[in-house]
Amino acid sequence: MKSLSKANLSQFLETMNSKVRVYVPVEQDGVSRFAPWSQDCQLVLDRNTINPPKRLFFPQTEELYEYQVDKQDASVKSLAVKPEPFVVFGMRPCDVQSLKLLDDVFLTKGYEDIYYKQKREQGIVISLGCPEPEETCFCDSWGVNPARAPLADIMMIESEDKYLLEAQTEAGEKLLADLSGQLTDQSGELPEGKPCSLKVKNEGLMEHLQPKFEDPVWAEICRKCINCGTCTYLCPTCYCFDILNRTRGKQGVKYRCYDSCMYPEYTLMAGGHNPRPTKKERVRQRFLHKLQYIPERYQELGCVGCGRCIKKCPVNLDITRVINQLWEVE
Amino acid sequence: MNAQTAKIREIAKELLEKQEVQMVIGWEKGTFFYNSTPVFITKPEDVERLIWDEYCAVNLAKLLMDYRHVEGKVALFVKGCDARGINRLIQDKVIDRGKTYLIGLPCPGMKDAGKAAELGKDKAGEAPLEAKCLRCTHPNPVVYDVLVGEEVPVTGKEDRFARIADLEKMSPDEKFEYWSKQYDKCIRCYACRNVCPACNCRECVFDQGQTWLERAVERGGNQFYGLVRAFHVAGRCIECGECERACPMDIPIMDLHHKIAKDINELFGDYEAGLDPEGPLPLGMYKTEDPEEFM
Amino acid sequence: MCNCNGSHNDNPLLPVVGKIIKIVEETPDVKTFHVTSENGKPFTPMPGQLGMVSIVDVGEAMFSVTTQGPEHLEFAIKRVGTLTDVLHEAEVGQSIGVRGPYGNGFPIDLFKGKDVLFIGGGIGLAPVRSMINYCIENRDDFGKLTIIYGARSPEDLCFKDDLFENWPKVRDTEVHVTVDKGDDNWKGNVGFVPAFLEQINPSPENTIALTCGPPIMIKFVLQSLAKMNFQPEQIVTTLEMRMKCGIGKCGRCNIGSKFVCLDGPVFTLAELNQMPNEY
Repeated sequence: MKSLSKANLSQFLETMNSKVRVYVPVEQDGVSRFAPWSQDCQLVLDRNTINPPKRLFFPQTEELYEYQVDKQDASVKSLAVKPEPFVVFGMRPCDVQSLKLLDDVFLTKGYEDIYYKQKREQGIVISLGCPEPEETCFCDSWGVNPARAPLADIMMIESEDKYLLEAQTEAGEKLLADLSGQLTDQSGELPEGKPCSLKVKNEGLMEHLQPKFEDPVWAEICRKCINCGTCTYLCPTCYCFDILNRTRGKQGVKYRCYDSCMYPEYTLMAGGHNPRPTKKERVRQRFLHKLQYIPERYQELGCVGCGRCIKKCPVNLDITRVINQLWEVE
Repeated sequence: MNAQTAKIREIAKELLEKQEVQMVIGWEKGTFFYNSTPVFITKPEDVERLIWDEYCAVNLAKLLMDYRHVEGKVALFVKGCDARGINRLIQDKVIDRGKTYLIGLPCPGMKDAGKAAELGKDKAGEAPLEAKCLRCTHPNPVVYDVLVGEEVPVTGKEDRFARIADLEKMSPDEKFEYWSKQYDKCIRCYACRNVCPACNCRECVFDQGQTWLERAVERGGNQFYGLVRAFHVAGRCIECGECERACPMDIPIMDLHHKIAKDINELFGDYEAGLDPEGPLPLGMYKTEDPEEFM
Repeated sequence: MCNCNGSHNDNPLLPVVGKIIKIVEETPDVKTFHVTSENGKPFTPMPGQLGMVSIVDVGEAMFSVTTQGPEHLEFAIKRVGTLTDVLHEAEVGQSIGVRGPYGNGFPIDLFKGKDVLFIGGGIGLAPVRSMINYCIENRDDFGKLTIIYGARSPEDLCFKDDLFENWPKVRDTEVHVTVDKGDDNWKGNVGFVPAFLEQINPSPENTIALTCGPPIMIKFVLQSLAKMNFQPEQIVTTLEMRMKCGIGKCGRCNIGSKFVCLDGPVFTLAELNQMPNEY
């Protein structure tokens, strides 16, 4: 284990950034997100970012390939580019856990999404454990330890006036070795953090929900939803996207862009039929996708308990309260 | 429990028991002390869920749109801004006043939930009012069937155009830089549109595939979205500030709406939307003496 | 597991650009496009599998491969939206993006050694046709073939050559055609597919029924099949959902935890009965 004095954090990031591009959690123009490190950036280390770091691996808008057309002829050229290695510094354990699900979606079941894969392979994750979760956090209800991220390359946690760092993968060890000049050897174990105060009952939830598709409770749950995309766009595990064209004259780009199951257009078919015509079906899809369909398909959590949707839903349609309400249904 | 909460429950219970309405839309306590969230009461025994406190910021008017085609009346609690939202929907021929029962609540202003969360429960009293409440000109409902409590004065509030005075002083380049920074944050979740009582089109232009706007989230498209929405609600915006409150990226959307409202006042005389559903809309009529500096 | 048959490159979202080599006008709003590429057939689908077809500067949509030759694929496409409008205006020589094959295809093993009852309506004959032609090409593997097909009017009948020339000549094969509304020249049956099916009354014994058509037709066909004692395990159908990626990533074509693009589009009624009713 290594330690880093808090006073030296800026120098540590600067040195690391001179070797490899580093993304850090910052507050910028009134909103928090991950952005490239610079000396004058405003680091946010006391809470998680509103924009999830999934954007570094799966951006909201991403070009897939370009094309040229000339009368009847056409050609295409892939725009998939393997980035230079980069470091994501300060990802919280919930968000690191979300990468597990994104990996399952983008890299398994017969097809690998090359655009995601190239970024995922080049990204080194330094997770920052949470000594004290926020009141909207409930990751430990899903089995995530707020102070540990097993999938991170390096686990880091605050301890009084310093940070303690432990490499968890080969890439992590190499990075720490490269930065050894900034670090001090330290004995002992990484400290544990406090548990979350917000809780949901997780065990058996998937099985409990399986027969609830037709339950009238969905008509109640959906009432206050305004069908905006806030929850889905801020969610670290939501991955749905649309594929679109941007044509300018004889050339153009095929790109993908986040989409949301909250929008009526999402499932609207060319002939006019919509299998999810009202907000009841759309709200049900969002919650069952997280809580039943993803666990069924990937034997994996569909929610990591980061609490962003609780924090930012304009009408406080809170997933933990929805889960409690669903548990009450016989 | 405050006296008004007891009173609103009593009113709701009576309306439901006498079957004068089939549903009452109000607020209930949400996850944390600073969350008061919409609730839909259909059974008299459920009225105990209703509350009225300093966090009932959500404008309920828009939620009525889901019930415009149902049989029978729906009751709704209205603050000043909710009431103006109702007038908006009536004037836009979206809802039928005869099918609504409005319970008016004079509003002392709602606390800024985000600030209250930061301060914690014990110090929440020190939290400032929501930005939208600081600039409110009509805290008392402008339309209602019954009023609960005494009307409140418009006190201690900011001039609603104060914030844009600074923006107006900027050069065009500075303005562009400022708004680019703001709309570069936009994630196009459409929360601002979906909470807005003036955004009541049957089909929004932004939901028509890529006919008018590409889905790519980028500077030009984001600004186009913000501007088009601002102009679509020009002269109809009731200044409830829900767009800005709902925005997860903290974009000062009301500055656009206030700027347009101010310009309308200067060009066509003082006007506030949502006060009179019968009156003419400043941008919906033509007078020969209208200024036409662009001609 | 991957159904790609080794044809896609390492970027499954990147199409192969081929060309339309032949266009057959089936009905006033359905055309069949024959597509090939520089390297021959873009991919080799099993019956019932899908292909993502694009006019590269316009858009992409998923269609079933209605049949194939040694060097080309055929897509029968109804004019319903932006992309299909452009496709219908296209001429031979037009470049076409294709990627696939996608989806599970028909469960051939389930059909082998059994009589097969095909029930199609309108453009729904397109996927069914891929299985009919497979059965014909491997005629000894299957028992009696009964094809029941209906369309709104005589001019709306797809694949007329197959219906009236090719398929009736095949050994132990019956073709029954109906239209909702006839015209002066129509000598065949007039009536809806479900009623026509009940009139023909095929036996469920050692039979698999395969049906595809408009949702309302499928609904009543399933009721008729139930009346005739077909069990849910004996009934196979295909579903349609809005799709974008075709490879189970983009999310929208799910029905419960199943993705129609990967786990479908072919499901037995027994499987559908286990899934949420949201399609």
